[in-house]
Amino acid sequence: MDLGSDNASTLLEDYAQSVSELTFNSRPIIDNLTTIAQENPANADGILNIITNRIYKAIPDQKLYALYLLDSICKTAGNPYNILVGDDIFKLFSHVFQLGNETIRNTLSSKLFESWKVTKVRGNFPLFPREQLDKIKTFLDKAGYPKKNGNGNSPDLSNMTLIEDTNSLIAVFQSRLQSHPDAKLSDRFNALQELKKLLLSQQMKPAELKAVQAQLNTIKEQDNNHNSNINTPMPTPATTPAATPGASRVEPVKNEADTLFQALLLYGLVKVDQDPIPGSKPDYSIVLPKIKYQIPKGDLSNSALQDILTANLHSSIHRSEYEKIKFGELQVVSKQIASDLQGFLNNNKPRISDLNFLYDAKSSKCALCGKRFSTDTDGATKKRLHLDWHFRINKKLSSSTSNVQSRNWYLDDYDWVNFKDDALLEFSTSETGETKDAGIVAKTNKVAFVAVPANDSNMNNRCIICRESVKATYNDELGEWCWFNCVRAPGEGKNSRKIMHASCAVESSKKRGAEDEVNGLKKQKV
Amino acid sequence: MSIPGFGAEAQVYSETGSKGLVEVAIPEGSEWRIEVPHKTILKFKVTEGVAEIFGTELPINVELQISGTKTMVYAPIIYETFKNKTVMSNESEEIVEYLSNDSVMANYINLHLVVEAMRQQVSDNNILNPTELQSGPRVLIVGNGNSGKTSLAKLLSAYAIKSDSTPVLVNLNPRDGVFSLPGSLTATPISDSLDVESANGWGFTTTSGSLFHNPKQPIVKNYGFVDVNENLDLYKYQVSKLGVTVLSRLEEDIACRNGGVIIDTPALGIKDFTVIENIVSDFEVNLIVVLGNERLMIDLKKRFKHKSALQIVKVPKSEGLVEVDEAFIRRTQEESIKEYFNGNYKTRLSPFKTDIDVNDHTIYKCVLSSDVNSALSFLPAEPSSSNLDNSILAITQLPSTHKSGRELLNTSILGYVHVSKFDDAKGKIKVLLPFPGGFPRNMLISTNIGFNE
Repeated sequence: MDLGSDNASTLLEDYAQSVSELTFNSRPIIDNLTTIAQENPANADGILNIITNRIYKAIPDQKLYALYLLDSICKTAGNPYNILVGDDIFKLFSHVFQLGNETIRNTLSSKLFESWKVTKVRGNFPLFPREQLDKIKTFLDKAGYPKKNGNGNSPDLSNMTLIEDTNSLIAVFQSRLQSHPDAKLSDRFNALQELKKLLLSQQMKPAELKAVQAQLNTIKEQDNNHNSNINTPMPTPATTPAATPGASRVEPVKNEADTLFQALLLYGLVKVDQDPIPGSKPDYSIVLPKIKYQIPKGDLSNSALQDILTANLHSSIHRSEYEKIKFGELQVVSKQIASDLQGFLNNNKPRISDLNFLYDAKSSKCALCGKRFSTDTDGATKKRLHLDWHFRINKKLSSSTSNVQSRNWYLDDYDWVNFKDDALLEFSTSETGETKDAGIVAKTNKVAFVAVPANDSNMNNRCIICRESVKATYNDELGEWCWFNCVRAPGEGKNSRKIMHASCAVESSKKRGAEDEVNGLKKQKV
Repeated sequence: MSIPGFGAEAQVYSETGSKGLVEVAIPEGSEWRIEVPHKTILKFKVTEGVAEIFGTELPINVELQISGTKTMVYAPIIYETFKNKTVMSNESEEIVEYLSNDSVMANYINLHLVVEAMRQQVSDNNILNPTELQSGPRVLIVGNGNSGKTSLAKLLSAYAIKSDSTPVLVNLNPRDGVFSLPGSLTATPISDSLDVESANGWGFTTTSGSLFHNPKQPIVKNYGFVDVNENLDLYKYQVSKLGVTVLSRLEEDIACRNGGVIIDTPALGIKDFTVIENIVSDFEVNLIVVLGNERLMIDLKKRFKHKSALQIVKVPKSEGLVEVDEAFIRRTQEESIKEYFNGNYKTRLSPFKTDIDVNDHTIYKCVLSSDVNSALSFLPAEPSSSNLDNSILAITQLPSTHKSGRELLNTSILGYVHVSKFDDAKGKIKVLLPFPGGFPRNMLISTNIGFNE
């Protein structure tokens, strides 16, 4: 037994490792882990420990996948798993439910739980103890789940719905073929493939569609019988009646284990009428997927895997709070337009909750111009700079009668290509702009005058920028006639009369920013 | 409800015959469609809720003035506690205004979501793979006349800036002066919100100095006519020149690269396929949006079958579109020319009148395609009062030391001046410059754009 326990610990380690990989809804992983559990009933305690641990410890979005695994094991392997975990099932279910998001809650309440109500393990025992299931039902009733949605039950027949239906059947048949090769099965599998091709290639009339649907239903029926044929001869494992106290009062549903339907139920492709009349056949209906226009292509788990990979990759990019919201909302759009761009344009009904990045995520609105800012640190800084800018501009526009400062010609191609619009905005340039201003002002505070050239007798001058006249005044300290608050135009000689107001100079240098060097040269030539 | 301070202001309106204030509540998802003739001013302010003009959100309790426009105010959201309310002073019976819930805005918002999702993918890629940079979506808007192409371009630009993206807006319709004068073809990075009060609803540029809105910085190519068919060869040539410049900007500027390009066009149909094809290749367009013309979309899909990377979609045109007549277009052009020189009520500009000697300058004129075999040439124009008076002269970036008119094909525009009078006898031209300063000694092109002060 030493060897055995050694093997067991390796097995459990490997198992725990694989379970931790259940970060997305992966059919292959779940199938594989289910098979291992089925083959090692001796380690049921250990395996269940691992899974329940995973359910409790995984992040909320991933709990569901571990619960799926548990569900798959209980349904496929049954005893001893369903009995061992039976008394905890309410705790586990409510745990995942409470921490899950809306989608998870809907899945749990309308699909998983519904399937538990009707699933029977060998020997006609319910999957989980009746009292636990009742507890879950009471719990869900209080929470108001499952939510009724009117359109889910009566899907319009179209090629699309039937293709999905066929796809799910093909997937089931494929996995079954791999485990139990069977000539009949493979015939039926091929027939389904043909049917899918047909559905994909041509538009069918409603009557034809109905016929196809009937055909599909027949295949399902046959498949049910087929399953019961496989399952009945199998030795019925001993069950502990004590563990299933309500066994005798169970809802009378179909007697035979129905793995195919359980699979379909589990993945929400088929919905069961919630309260079947005793003795009657339950009413099955196909459930339309929630997201429109997403045709499952190839292996579902692959696309899920891809999602996870991209999400991981993209999470490495640093984003502000606002950018995170925008990213999330646009990811949803990206997925939908990948399959049908025109359909999205025509039919998507944009709701305000999908447009947070245009409105609510930028909830701080400038009172002067209506520009929106986010409330994160990035947005707060921008808003502060923005308001400063309004203040500066308003002050300037109210103080000067004419608005002729810092006006420019258009740029030429070369300058435009290398121009950065940041130089026009209130945000990124303001830092450098303000320090530059400060520098010029500080300098001009000391020497903000131009001495009238010695050989010049005309004391009246004009600012070359704003054209306002400037009169020279005599300064005792300097002993010279000076034009105060003015600077000489850049590049002019000592005796030049070309002067401009210090404030005009600051304005023009600030507004022009980087492109000024290039333009300045040109202008002087002019 | 009473609006503080509004009563006093209403007095001002009475001069022009105010009939008092009208309160309009715009339900969620509805449009308040307004038609204001030229010379008539509509003053209004949004008092509650959220309201947009072609994607540009309006401030609350700030009075706005619009004139000479057919536009709409759209209310995207309604909060429990707010109503989207607008107050306007209805001072003229000429103003047409009504509410409509028959909006195609949902489709246009979807289009923005699509374009923005593409930008998101590109910008993420550009962070993750800095060695293999991609460019954001290059969106081409095509459709018949009066199908709302410019409005859609405006809307996409405004929503882009709301989403923190900086697309380059390209205007290939010489009829409209976008950030410039009519007759020009321009490309402008949209780095800040648009100015809904400006003459054509786009806004001002660095030519205008200090502004209430951040100015934009366009690149301006001269075409010189308002109709594409006047000189189709020159038009195509300038479009492809502009394409080169824009794509180079995308190479240099990561913000523009991620933002992509939005291209507005003149009315083009399938008969103009070569023009569309040129634009598609010049700007590396990867998304064509056909406005309200199913047939055109199908034809384009057929013709562009070989381009697998090019997606072609359609969006419906708005029921609110109104036919604009030639006179209205002409007035709008005049308004944008006036705004270039004089500004508007908020931003008063001081243009500068001066005389220049005709002998100091060489004025070229582009030839009409019917005049010469090769339409791609400029001939020195014989200056005369008949061809210069009351017209717009384009100053090119080329110093007048260049002696060949050929080079004019490869330059862009430094600015525009208006010629009010040419004195044949003295050889003096009276010009209006946008701002004081020396007259640039660059080569000049006389355009077919006329303007009376």
